Amino acid sequence: MAEVKIFGYTDKISVKPGQSIDVFVSADGVSEAEAKLVRLIHGDEHPDGPGFLEEEVACEADGPWPVRKQYTQVGSFLEVADPEAVLALEGPLTLHAFIYPGLPEAGQRQGLLGRWDNDRNMGYALGINRKGHLEFWVGRGDEVDYVEAEVPLIAKTWYFVAATFDPASGRATVHQESVANRYNGLLGRVAPIDFRSHVAETFRFRPKHLPDTPFLIAGTRDFHEARGHFVSQTYCGKIDRPGVHGRVLGEAEFDAIKGGALPPPDGMVAYWDTTAGYTDRGIGDVVIDAGPHKLDARGYNRPVRAQTGWNWNGRNDCFRLAPEEYGGVEFHYDAMIDCNWALTRTVRLPETLKSGVYAFRLRAGDGVGLGEERVVFFVRPTIPAGKVALLFPTASYLAYANEHLSFDAQIIQPMTGQPPIVSEVDIEMYKNWEFGLSTYDAWADGNGVCYSSYRRPILNMRPKYRISSMGVTWGFAADLSILAWLEHKGYAYDVLTDEDLHVEGLDAIASYACVLSGTHPEYYSERMLDATEDYIAGGGRYIYMGGNGYYWNVAFRDDEPWIMEVRKLDSGMRAWAARPGEHYLATTGQKSGLWKNLGRPPQKLVGVGFIAEGFETSRPYRRMPDSYHRTVSWMMKGIEGEMLGETGLAYGGAAGLELDRYDLNYGTPPHARIVASSGGHSDNYMLSIEEILYPYPGLAGSQDYRIRSDMVYFTAPNDGAVFSTGSIAFGQALPANGFANNISTLLGNLVDAFIAPGRLPGALWVNDEKQWK
Amino acid sequence: MVDVEQRLRPGTATADVPDTPASTWRNPLHPWGAEGAEEEIPSNPHRDPREVWVRTRESKAPLLPVGRLRYYHKWPGHGGRLWQRMRYWPTRRRVLHIRGEYNPKTLRREKTIVDKRPIWWVLGLVALLLAPAVMPADFQNTLMTAGATFGIYAAINLCWMLIIGTAGIYSLASYAVVGAAAFGTAWLSIHMGLPWWTLPLVGSAIGLVFGLIIAIPAIRLDGFYYALLTIGLNELCRVYTLQSKQFGSSTGGLYGADTYIPQSWSQESQSLLAYYACFALMVAALILYRFVDGRRLGRILKMAPEKREAFAEATGVNFRRARIWVFIISSIGLGFIGGFYTAHYRGVSFSIFSFDTVLLGLAMLVIGGIGRAEGAVVGTAIVIFLDKVLIATGPIRLILIGLIMLGVVLFLKGGLFGIKAQFGAWRDKKKSERRSRRAEKGGEMLPEEATETKDKDLIYWRRYDKMQRDYLKSLISPEIIEEHRKSPLGQHSEPLERLLLYFRRAPLADKYAITVVKPFQAYRIVALSGQRGVAPRIVEDKVYPTQDEAYHGVFLRRVQDLLET
Repeated sequence: MAEVKIFGYTDKISVKPGQSIDVFVSADGVSEAEAKLVRLIHGDEHPDGPGFLEEEVACEADGPWPVRKQYTQVGSFLEVADPEAVLALEGPLTLHAFIYPGLPEAGQRQGLLGRWDNDRNMGYALGINRKGHLEFWVGRGDEVDYVEAEVPLIAKTWYFVAATFDPASGRATVHQESVANRYNGLLGRVAPIDFRSHVAETFRFRPKHLPDTPFLIAGTRDFHEARGHFVSQTYCGKIDRPGVHGRVLGEAEFDAIKGGALPPPDGMVAYWDTTAGYTDRGIGDVVIDAGPHKLDARGYNRPVRAQTGWNWNGRNDCFRLAPEEYGGVEFHYDAMIDCNWALTRTVRLPETLKSGVYAFRLRAGDGVGLGEERVVFFVRPTIPAGKVALLFPTASYLAYANEHLSFDAQIIQPMTGQPPIVSEVDIEMYKNWEFGLSTYDAWADGNGVCYSSYRRPILNMRPKYRISSMGVTWGFAADLSILAWLEHKGYAYDVLTDEDLHVEGLDAIASYACVLSGTHPEYYSERMLDATEDYIAGGGRYIYMGGNGYYWNVAFRDDEPWIMEVRKLDSGMRAWAARPGEHYLATTGQKSGLWKNLGRPPQKLVGVGFIAEGFETSRPYRRMPDSYHRTVSWMMKGIEGEMLGETGLAYGGAAGLELDRYDLNYGTPPHARIVASSGGHSDNYMLSIEEILYPYPGLAGSQDYRIRSDMVYFTAPNDGAVFSTGSIAFGQALPANGFANNISTLLGNLVDAFIAPGRLPGALWVNDEKQWK
Repeated sequence: MVDVEQRLRPGTATADVPDTPASTWRNPLHPWGAEGAEEEIPSNPHRDPREVWVRTRESKAPLLPVGRLRYYHKWPGHGGRLWQRMRYWPTRRRVLHIRGEYNPKTLRREKTIVDKRPIWWVLGLVALLLAPAVMPADFQNTLMTAGATFGIYAAINLCWMLIIGTAGIYSLASYAVVGAAAFGTAWLSIHMGLPWWTLPLVGSAIGLVFGLIIAIPAIRLDGFYYALLTIGLNELCRVYTLQSKQFGSSTGGLYGADTYIPQSWSQESQSLLAYYACFALMVAALILYRFVDGRRLGRILKMAPEKREAFAEATGVNFRRARIWVFIISSIGLGFIGGFYTAHYRGVSFSIFSFDTVLLGLAMLVIGGIGRAEGAVVGTAIVIFLDKVLIATGPIRLILIGLIMLGVVLFLKGGLFGIKAQFGAWRDKKKSERRSRRAEKGGEMLPEEATETKDKDLIYWRRYDKMQRDYLKSLISPEIIEEHRKSPLGQHSEPLERLLLYFRRAPLADKYAITVVKPFQAYRIVALSGQRGVAPRIVEDKVYPTQDEAYHGVFLRRVQDLLET
């Protein structure tokens, strides 16, 4: 019997009681799983904390669910809507496109454009063969005929490619010519490479067409008996302005297209103008056919748009300036955005459900190891009930979703200062491409992943999960420690997500007296940032519970909030760097990258901003002299001594992992106070890259005074206030010693004060100091 | 592991580990009260990491000049011109398999003929075609007869090669099929008066029947037992015809069948016609060989070589069926040849069934090389030349054939035509022996390795890595090991930090990591694959009860690996 494995995801991440939620499950080796709705309370199994805590909740869906193995389409491509089978051309044909192959030497066949059935060997296609040569082929079912270009394609170079076929004479040709300029490719003019090839052969037969084969760009149709139709031979690289003609184009016509002219209208069947459809606010998944039949193509697994095209010449850095230079649509054979599984079960949640973090606990087989899955989702209140809102940074969960750093990133061990501790789940995720990648990974051709979604099992958004490269909880499981603390202290709290904040803006949080962030709210959209700023400015009281927050500018489409886009560029601690000219989000037209580089450093919002990271030790804070002022000293009620946070589940201290610092130069409000700061960080803590203009020796923890976490407090308009912890490990320090620790006391004082209506404590101690001491 | 720990126990420094005088390191985090930060711990005296660079002025391995002169012409690429490629009608096979490529040393476009066999075949066949025109008059008769015999035997051997090489059936009954067809057609021609042109067709039918009969046991028997059976069959045919009056036991064979050679022609014209007819027969056999071996049947069988049949079967390849098909097709071919044989020699003698005929045929196959058409043809040519042309040398020639065969079997893996591949493999073996003798393990690349490295950055990385390791080896001391054991994470002394940074930056393939057996209770050491989608492998059975012990376990393994290089 196969090893029992079960995985699932939901269609929505944030729901209200009484609403329905669709659950998608795939299971190996079993046909039934036992489901139970559970409320998650604590997710860190560290022996110094309360351990894993969940509470079973009655639900109509409890009990056995029939489950089965589900298949996932991996690889991005464009599918042409061609119900009339216009592209099943019987007569002469020409295929042409500009291509920028990402991995021609992948050793597997990659389809560029064609109407080809891999299983039945029928149709025609232009693609890259296993040797990395451009190839055109036609099939009759029992036989396939090929013509290939003379030399292999060179990776990361723009080519004009074409194939023609004349059934009357049987003559087939393939053509490739470089359209490299000084900017658009890997190699310059100094490399003595002759890219050209034109080859002709005489085919023995004309292709046969199947009625239902779709015309695909960047893949070909395939079939498997258990799975049905799917797409294989997917492509890695960019394609720009492909077209199909119903006649054989001549050399002069190819030269004209290669020179930038529109393809001749005579005989044009389709011409996908990848530069059409750009707006100031980005572009969608539909590639418009400018030909006579309007055979628009739709992207699957979100091909990356807003990428430079063959004619990009370095002057314009955004599609908003010159859409005609941004025809590049980028494909990856390991891209996976949405599992698109068949629905397993629609669950109507109980009306009486308390706001919180929930999961469908699915147990299959003996229910241990990979036989147990918790499909996590968040339940927000129907009407805001609590005074406190805990805002789960789901955008950041997306960014880290199913990351493979321990396995794929050579730099991760020097970065985290330890060998990784990989679990069964990590290995499963690594072995299986169907779980997709995170924005910390690269696609097979080395380009960074810019899209991530939650319509797939996110195995690191689970309680008990520990990030393998660091050996601690991270993201979701760490954020549960804050929830467990709220639960332990008995506060009336509600749970919200980044998605709610992005979709509803200020309305999502306006009614709460106090909002707590997660431990690492690193990825923020403009709307989320605006809403947070407006909340604080409008008198809200905000506790920034983490480190390295409000860092990357990300974007979501209004109709698909489950997919996030980010481009990493120029500076910042980043897993990859976007190519020149590709720094703008296809989703919104905004420049991506760090908020700091866009004029909104986090200091401007919460008083602190990212300064350093390190991953093998944490440190406590020590009270700063300014914390004795009566505007802030109330926070320290019940705390003995100067040291704060000497315990914690993340390396035994409250200041650790990623640290934020006060900085007037980046817009920390001038009246902000540093309440406490950490220090004595090891040399694994290195200054963040965006702070470095020139690197010089000594930019590490034990030698640079800037490397520290600052607890910063300031008051905001309308009795608003902000308290920033400036460290990711702060949240994981809360549950230490049965929640009886001074970090817990400090946060309790803050939340108590923040939820009390009226003036803040210490608000009247504002006169000039005329002291004798 | 224990080994390293023992070797490095404080105060027991061995020859591998430099005996370092005591020194101390003061932890900068001690004033901050960082956990585990002792004020002062024993450490190594300072060693300058640049020392190795200053000291190393040349490679330990002799660096010899490399480079191979291009003494022949290579066609440039077609560039912007259209390249019209020809095919063998009606297949999709191109006339020549040409690989277009960029010369890695110059990036010049070049074309390489990957498979030159079509050229050799054309030259060889044209030579055979023209041979009668240039034969010395003295030997004309002998050579023409030998040429005709060669054509017939080459055709037989090609069919036989399909059975032994392509289908992998060890049948020794090929001559029995030919003989049966020959006897059958001779008898029919003599007694029923069949004209010569029907003989090959009737022969084919006999071949088909015979093929079917011999194919049945091939379903169950293989290898030695099948060979035995077919020898038996051969012997049966011989004894049967020898004792059968019908088949001319008294005359030594059946003679008097109709022939395609007009008796009215001159002797010279007759032998010329015979020569070309046999040549045409061989060409036909070549075409048959190509169509069976090079197409679907042959490809199926190449997936199921001997001893890997089970694997092929598991992947859905019905190799048995394919084998039987090849066998039957070849038998029809052999029957055809049998009919032709009769029409050529006007009859047939018992010697066709004799064991020495089988052995001589086998020698032809083995000398040329099993599994290739050129092997069958050239092997036949050699043996026929020795046997028929050097007939004057008497029995010596048979000994010569035996010696050649023995030599081939003893020294060559794939006959004469396997020499190239065998030589290449032998050269590669010698190459790697020489390299491993000259090169320093983990040291600088040799020039010959450098030429084979696509990314020249790696060549420098090897040098840098070597320098790093030479330096870092000198840092390993009991104090350092002890320091790591006490606190695997956190601020470390300068020498330990250097070691750890080096270990952590290693490439991912085979890099150590830890896997959770039970959270906070049991951990094991694994090695990463460095290849996307491939799970890490377990490197040892030992279970570590804490993360810290596992970290230290990884460290000790890395130290061990470092000292071993």
